[in-house]
Amino acid sequence: MSPELETDTPDEPNYDDEFDAIVVGAGLAGSAAALTMANRGLEVLLVERGTSPGAKNVFGGVLYTPTIRELTDFEDAPLERYVAERRFSMLSDEDETAVSLRPGEWHREPHNDSYTVLRGEFDEWFAEQAVANGATLVTETTVTGLVRERDRIVGVETDRPDGTIRAPYVVLAEGGNSLVSEGANLKETESRENVAVAAKEVLEFPERDGVIEDRFRLVDDAGVSYHYFGEGAVGDAFGGGFVYTNEDTVSVGVAYRIEDAVAADQSPEETLNAFKTHPAVAPLLRNARTVEYSAKTIPEGGAESIPELVHDGAVIVGDAAGLVLNNGVHLEGTNMAVESGYHAGTAIARAAERDRTGADALRAYPDALEQSFVVQNLERYAWMMDAVEEDRDLLFEDLPRAFADAGTEYFRMDRNPKEVHAENAKHAVLDALGGWTGAAKLAFRYRKMVT
Amino acid sequence: MSAQPQTPDVTNDSMEDRLYTVKYDDPGESHLDVKVPDICAECETNDCVKVCPANVWREGEDGVPHIAYENCLECSSCRFACQYDNVVWEYPETGGGVTFKHG
Ligand SMILES: Cc1cc2nc3c(=O)[nH]c(=O)nc-3n(C[C@H](O)[C@H](O)[C@H](O)COP(=O)(O)OP(=O)(O)OC[C@H]3O[C@@H](n4cnc5c(N)ncnc54)[C@H](O)[C@@H]3O)c2cc1C
Ligand code: SF4
Ligand code: SF4
Repeated sequence: MSPELETDTPDEPNYDDEFDAIVVGAGLAGSAAALTMANRGLEVLLVERGTSPGAKNVFGGVLYTPTIRELTDFEDAPLERYVAERRFSMLSDEDETAVSLRPGEWHREPHNDSYTVLRGEFDEWFAEQAVANGATLVTETTVTGLVRERDRIVGVETDRPDGTIRAPYVVLAEGGNSLVSEGANLKETESRENVAVAAKEVLEFPERDGVIEDRFRLVDDAGVSYHYFGEGAVGDAFGGGFVYTNEDTVSVGVAYRIEDAVAADQSPEETLNAFKTHPAVAPLLRNARTVEYSAKTIPEGGAESIPELVHDGAVIVGDAAGLVLNNGVHLEGTNMAVESGYHAGTAIARAAERDRTGADALRAYPDALEQSFVVQNLERYAWMMDAVEEDRDLLFEDLPRAFADAGTEYFRMDRNPKEVHAENAKHAVLDALGGWTGAAKLAFRYRKMVT
Repeated sequence: MSAQPQTPDVTNDSMEDRLYTVKYDDPGESHLDVKVPDICAECETNDCVKVCPANVWREGEDGVPHIAYENCLECSSCRFACQYDNVVWEYPETGGGVTFKHG
């Protein structure tokens, strides 16, 4: 822990009414809310159950930074690499068909606001920014419940001795495993169709120097974000695999719906092992050694799963509010967590100026969120999960194989003229799609992805 | 050449090796439990066992899963997986449980 970070772990905190707001959880959403409120002159207590912020957190991952850059000086943030290449691969059991993007623009600052980070370091740094602006951080303290007076939330219970702390506003930023919000009946437990299980490893290379640059065709602090879907990634489950480059490690993982995980004939750990040994993935990881194994859930119910965001005296932000976009092409939660924390913090600061704590006084938060990319993006893709579910076999099994077959046909070396190969390739894809009618239907169904 | 060339060396550690990479502080008392063991005994699917990425839930002979809670990665998957809402999931004692260095 860096020396300038003052963490307070009192045995008997007696903070009653010393704070204007209490934030539950020092993840991205919580620290963004605390930072925003502290900047606006509020006394803020940020409560984190881990030994330090980030100690309990796991993600893929690419941190998307447009809002963070606005909130704080971003110069010293512990970033691993900027994302210079994004690649999407369809895997059958033995084939890979990929689309890869390496735009020149991504090499220039702000690098499309996409950086790989490790949460153990990043979250600690981000919480530190809130502290530097006047927030008080308490670690190793778990919030176990909310304190209510009539219908109003007026504080939190913690597991510290004498650990009840009262404050006019509570920000619930506890992540997807939201025991406090659920315990207080502020949201329902998400059903398993709407939650993914993720298993992840961080791998290190013994020969370290330059190995990531060489293997992933990179220069300096450029990095990659590789996404994989199809049978070879996570079997017939709804989800995918990923590989991200950190500064001198690689993050590898799989994430798929819990509903599929319980139906699968292998555990998430075995799925991860199989993914790591897929012929398209294994060469990237050759000789690498696992230095960390971790797991976490991802709420992916989208727009329809967002609970009531404001209550008398409390708001819900980030993963706790289900604000994650995960549709196979996009996996974005970090930007939504920070954006929601920022709007929640702003709304609380305004309500505090008027000395009001009621839900109606906090409405500015959901209103702003609705106008922001957060809700707009979630709504835009709300239809997609249903469509994908309907086309599941086609998208995850038949198409990856058909595309691989089509490519193999198209480039086949024999003594036939190209026309024959092109025709065969076309048929490989059309057969999978159910002919021209099937292709047209599919194009129509997914037109909203590009329009 | 017929089949794919052999995949190069990829270390796929055993679960024991994997869990070595995870640091457990004093786990204290189990933060996991089943609410109504009778329901577990009748639950034929054991979804908690199937979804757990850390082998914490294991099929027990009595039909009630055995819980090696000190391996728990705190991912919360078992909590969502059980359709009978029979998993008691609390946070480990403050300062305890899993700590990720990287995340
Ligand atoms: C495997 C995986 C890959 C992902 N990849 C990406 C990606 O590449 N890009 C992206 O943008 N998003 C990604 N996401 C999503 C992203 O990680 C989340 O959306 C984001 O972290 C949410 O931030 P948060 O602050 O809401 O919650 P969290 O980051 O979960 O933070 C919650 C915090 O609250 C603390 N806490 C919880 N309960 C309590 C309590 N009772 N008392 C005190 N403290 C408590 C926790 O310890 C934690 O620090 C991924 C997620 C996973 C699981
Ligand atoms: S915890 Fe739930 S899923 Fe697991 S055995 Fe018991 S009832 Fe079945
Ligand atoms: S929280 Fe995750 S690691 Fe822990 S027992 Fe449940 S499924 Fe297993």
